[in-house]
Amino acid sequence: MKLTRPIQFITIFLIVFGLANLVDATTTSKTYTESFPAVVCSPTLAGLSSQISLSSTKTPFQRLQDKSAKTSPVKVLRLPVIADSLVISSETTTPVIWQSRAGRWGGAALCRGPVASQWFVGASADVTTRGRLVVINSGLSDSIVDIQAFSENGKQQLQTITVKAKNYSVIPVDTFAPGDQALALLVEPQSGRVNSFMIDEQGQGLRSLGGDLVNSVSGANKTLVIPAIPTQKPARGQTKSQNHVIRVLAPGQVDADVTVEVLSETGVFIPVGLDSRLIEAGRVTEFKLEPDVSSEVFAIRIKSTEPIVAAVKSRISASGKSDYLWSTPSPELSELTMAITGLSPLVVFAGDQINVSIDLKLVNGKTVSKSVVGNDIATWRPPSSARSITITKVKKGSYAGAIVTSVNGIGYFPFAIGSELAKIEIPDSNIQVLNP
Amino acid sequence: MAAKAVEDKFRVVAVLVTHNGALWLPEVVAALGSQTRPIDFISAIDTGSTDTSTKLLKSARIPFTTTQADVGYGQAVSMVVQSLPECETDEWIWLIHDDCAPAPTALAQLLEAVQERPQVVMAGPKLLGWHDRTHLLEAGVSIAGNGARWTGLETNEYDQGQHDGNHDVLAVSTAGALIRRDVFEEIGGLDPNLTLFRDDVDFGWRVRTAGHSVLAATNAVAYHAQASANERRIVDVEGALLHRPLLLDRRNAAYVLLANSSWWMLPWLTIQLLGSAVARAIGYLLLKLPGYAGDELLAIGTLLIKPQEILHARQLRRKHRLISSRVVSAYIPPRWSQIRHGSEHLIEILRSKLFRHENSSQASSVLESNEDEEDLLTPVKSNEWARFFKRPEILGFLILGVITLLNSRQRLGDLVGGALALTPEGATDLWRVYFESWHQVGMGSSSATPTWVAFIALGSVLTVGNASLFVTLLFLVSPLLIMWSALHLLKKLTQNLWISIPASFLYAISPVTLAAISTGRLATLVILSLAPFVVSSISKWETIENVRWRQIFSIALLLSVFYAFTLMTFVIALIGLIAITISDYEKHAHLANEELYGHRFKKRAAVVFVPFIVNIPYSLEAILQPSRFLVEPGIAIPGAGVVKTVLGDPGGVLPIWLVSPILLVLFVSLFSSTQARRMAEYGIGLLAIAAVVSAINISAHGNDASTKAWAGPVIAFATLAAICAGTVLLDRLRPTLVLSHIHYRHYLSAFLLFTTIVYGVLASAFSITTGAQSLVQANRATVMPAFLNVEGDLKILVLREVESGNQKKIQFFISRGKDISMSDPDVAPAQTDAIAQAALGLIDGSGITSSTVLADFGIKYVFAKAPIKKETIRTIDGLGGFTRTSETSAGVVWQVATPTGRLIFVTENGTKIFLESGVEGARTNLPSAGTLTLTETYNRSWQLLQDGYRLERSKNEQGLPTFKVEQAGEISLIHDGTIRRGWISLQVIFFVTLLVLALPGGRRKREISDKELA
Repeated sequence: MKLTRPIQFITIFLIVFGLANLVDATTTSKTYTESFPAVVCSPTLAGLSSQISLSSTKTPFQRLQDKSAKTSPVKVLRLPVIADSLVISSETTTPVIWQSRAGRWGGAALCRGPVASQWFVGASADVTTRGRLVVINSGLSDSIVDIQAFSENGKQQLQTITVKAKNYSVIPVDTFAPGDQALALLVEPQSGRVNSFMIDEQGQGLRSLGGDLVNSVSGANKTLVIPAIPTQKPARGQTKSQNHVIRVLAPGQVDADVTVEVLSETGVFIPVGLDSRLIEAGRVTEFKLEPDVSSEVFAIRIKSTEPIVAAVKSRISASGKSDYLWSTPSPELSELTMAITGLSPLVVFAGDQINVSIDLKLVNGKTVSKSVVGNDIATWRPPSSARSITITKVKKGSYAGAIVTSVNGIGYFPFAIGSELAKIEIPDSNIQVLNP
Repeated sequence: MAAKAVEDKFRVVAVLVTHNGALWLPEVVAALGSQTRPIDFISAIDTGSTDTSTKLLKSARIPFTTTQADVGYGQAVSMVVQSLPECETDEWIWLIHDDCAPAPTALAQLLEAVQERPQVVMAGPKLLGWHDRTHLLEAGVSIAGNGARWTGLETNEYDQGQHDGNHDVLAVSTAGALIRRDVFEEIGGLDPNLTLFRDDVDFGWRVRTAGHSVLAATNAVAYHAQASANERRIVDVEGALLHRPLLLDRRNAAYVLLANSSWWMLPWLTIQLLGSAVARAIGYLLLKLPGYAGDELLAIGTLLIKPQEILHARQLRRKHRLISSRVVSAYIPPRWSQIRHGSEHLIEILRSKLFRHENSSQASSVLESNEDEEDLLTPVKSNEWARFFKRPEILGFLILGVITLLNSRQRLGDLVGGALALTPEGATDLWRVYFESWHQVGMGSSSATPTWVAFIALGSVLTVGNASLFVTLLFLVSPLLIMWSALHLLKKLTQNLWISIPASFLYAISPVTLAAISTGRLATLVILSLAPFVVSSISKWETIENVRWRQIFSIALLLSVFYAFTLMTFVIALIGLIAITISDYEKHAHLANEELYGHRFKKRAAVVFVPFIVNIPYSLEAILQPSRFLVEPGIAIPGAGVVKTVLGDPGGVLPIWLVSPILLVLFVSLFSSTQARRMAEYGIGLLAIAAVVSAINISAHGNDASTKAWAGPVIAFATLAAICAGTVLLDRLRPTLVLSHIHYRHYLSAFLLFTTIVYGVLASAFSITTGAQSLVQANRATVMPAFLNVEGDLKILVLREVESGNQKKIQFFISRGKDISMSDPDVAPAQTDAIAQAALGLIDGSGITSSTVLADFGIKYVFAKAPIKKETIRTIDGLGGFTRTSETSAGVVWQVATPTGRLIFVTENGTKIFLESGVEGARTNLPSAGTLTLTETYNRSWQLLQDGYRLERSKNEQGLPTFKVEQAGEISLIHDGTIRRGWISLQVIFFVTLLVLALPGGRRKREISDKELA
């Protein structure tokens, strides 16, 4: 039998097969459009003042209610906001807004891109409250927003509001559960490009009891880490340090069994009474947290059998003034950039093993690299000349938050990405769309 | 008998008419002379014979007269009768043709039949064939409503006495007819206008309406050569234009019907005669008998242009009519009996084709059982059913039938999914789509509808016009068809049914078949079903010079069907042509036979290019859009990668563990010394082409994303090559293996068999389990909610997440308010860049101007089909320019805020008016001069008419057709389909020509041998 011809055939076939495979591999490509949605910062309500920390003077922005789509550069690294909410194209950097009522309280919050849902754990609806929920629609069409409130008395009536295009609504929080003390709000837009902010302000008569900007979380989780809770040494003549209050809600149908671990310089421990504590589903529960820690900050890790949302309220007194802040859970730390111009925050890292590489950009344009290493908790205060912190490398399981103090009060913000990269594959015209 | 006959009271005068009948006359004369009941008087007349007829008459001593050649039969008979002495009581005339020989007892039997029946004035014998005297020609005759001569007998019916007896009939043939002379004379004899043919039926009809009876007495027998009708002699009679018997027969048939029927039947009869003449003419044309086709039409034409002839005939008949013409209705065959007769004939042909071996096998078994005498004493155990089910072909088809039924459990209903769009309910919708020049798909398209749409519409005839049912049935029975066609081919390669049946079964469950059914690939299914026939007829591809041109055109016709479904088959054929031409060129270097190779090239080129021409204009458009050479009907969903393709799986459904042994079989066959090697070479070549095809990414059929081409059609041929090679290999190898010691061939064969069996079992198991969850499913919910189809002239931008590979991606298309139907993807236009940008803007949130752009294109709504990411919905909500109008489980709908419509009229002062519009054209009034924009794709056939003048057409900045209107008034917007109609006419001409060339030619009667005729 002649084998030449079959072998020739097989060889040619294998060559064609190889070439076809090669062509196949090289022609596979996809096209995407990538963008960071613009972030939105809270408006400055009457009697308040706001400054937004930015990392570049060229950052484009526009006022929410501008009809034109034109933007202008901010020109400064800390932008005072007169009244309106601002829409900022800050790309990879998350701007931080510092808001305060002169001499009474201060608070910080992240400016964020539109999100699908926001949980606010904080504020109350009793007689002391002056809190407000600010719902901002940065889109060009009217939006419909569902607001679901929970309190110590359970789930409240769902409220649905319409916010006009490029506008915002301010709703007093006491309207959600009048008379109730402990609130947790879920803001869920049905349509539109919506962001919300919560201002928790309390007073008794003419006397201010402090206030804060409450940061939000996007959803309930079974494990939460609140990385930065400030402590205050007992005042002279007092033996105990101030109280912290943990506010927890299990929004589902099943009760949650929660355990609170304290992460501090003195180690990790579960305070008495906070091991396996039952949280009734649908009711906002508060309990005291009185950890015996010597450091100026500590962190907590809450583990639950059911998804929960939580925050810790800490009251700080200084120079005869009293203020409080809501420390909220922080997402797991990843590579990000936070604009901190003028804030000089105390950055707190929490996690079993902390190893974070940081690039610090100063107002003079220089960049300084820094590493933070530790176990359980580590703190670091960037210099006051810092304009932004970029986390360049981080060990898994780390969390971070920051505490800001000023003459007006104390505030907190978590380290989180304000605007997620929206990577969208460019759509094609495809008639298959119309085939079942 | 003879004694009795002599005693009868009748006087019988035989009238013999001759015309060039020397061939038959001696036997006729002898027959007349040998009658058991002697003829009382015989008289003959010769109508201008040029042969020895008159000499024969003279020598037989039969008195005769002569007359001219153009004298008709009836006139000649009358001349004889008039020359006879006065009519006596009970005198009968016996009409004898010169090609009709009565049996010796014929006259006696005829007289016996009429003796006791005084009402009978005309009696005829049973007419048998001249050559085959068991062939029953007639036992009485009638006429059908369409003019056909109706005998009630089957073609070539064998006479076994099944029609014997005396029957009352409308008429009997004049050949051997016994007619009472007084009545003959009273009603005027045979009509002289009917010079030949049908004079018998006419006379019988007249006899009936005169109140008498006609009898067919089958005890009397005559043998008739039907020389004139069978074109055994030239017809010279008056009125026989161009000596064409068929023309005369048809003319006379129409004459008889129109002259004798009730007046109120005439319009219907005229239509019927015209219709059937046209139908028969088409049939004759297809059989390449244009002369006969002309006869059919000319016959009716010559009669209808001279109505006075009919009127005169009707007046004459009215004089002798005693009872209504309707008296004959009992003898006119009803339409259903004609249909039954035709269908029985068809079934008989099919049965003889399908079960041609049945009789021979039974005969052999009978002989075998009688070989041993002892067997005759043993009671026969009849277990027919058990034996029936043990036959390999029955077993094979039964198993495949069960697997197919289980596999199709989700596909029993209106099919949709995968590449298959929803089939319109009726075939008329498909025809409409095929003929129309403008398609409301996306932004509109003027692309030529591919020919496969016409084939599906044509196929729907089988389901009484229900196209949807036809497609469902096609998918249901495809595996059985595929197996049957493969078996047809494999039987030519092996006599062993235990090899050919499993091989054809494997072909029917091959990866390409399973994938084609599951993903809704119409073209691949058609190719799988017909490929064995093509391969069978093209087997002489290498020595094509020996193939007749008619066969070449038959192959071209079959390939036209393939090309109609996918032009990928053209690519395969073209590559085959190039390869074989190069090979021939190399051989030519040695043989230097230019004529041979030139002849081969011509025939091969005809096979490859004629189908391409038949499929114009679609095939011509493909030259401008080359991606069409690599697509098949329906939606362009991606095929498999190169690796899966060379394993015979074109992609879609098969799990990775289901690997077919195609490649292995082809590789092994390459080393065979039998013809399996050549088949394997073709198979490997085809797999190489398939690999190349599967590596190509194309954008076609309304899908602008780059999609992997589907290599199914190529793999279908490769699979068939593997199956054929394997069959030959196994068939030839078996005897060798049985006789030789165990060596590597045994192991290799065992391995091949093992892998094949494993594949067969696994593929069957897969088919009946998860394989049923195919992309094509029945009765799926529609994409578009019904409320979006309420408004007319509506365009909606639909966003939907579509699975692409393993990922989901948002894609878009413009809907006209409803889901797409079958042919829409094939004519869908390419995407418009501006709309694509607007859609992107909707999704990524950058589309501040999206609503304006969409309004410019007449898009009124945006519909995001659920499920879709919430972020996308929020993004659109936030964009501005869109008002959310509904949110249901089907999805979210936004109205584009800027008012828009299909027809936008802008007056000179800038006011926009949205005009009412029809689905395609429009007729409306314009209030002033201005600019009219049609929000459809620009096309030269869009025309706006005002006061009978075409207005100037241009493209606006969006590329839409715009017309400048100079004054107020009524306008008409049309899409001129003249070009499309022209192309279709050309295509029909090409197709019919090819059909005529491909069909076997009919034979004229004069070309048929006497033996075949009777």
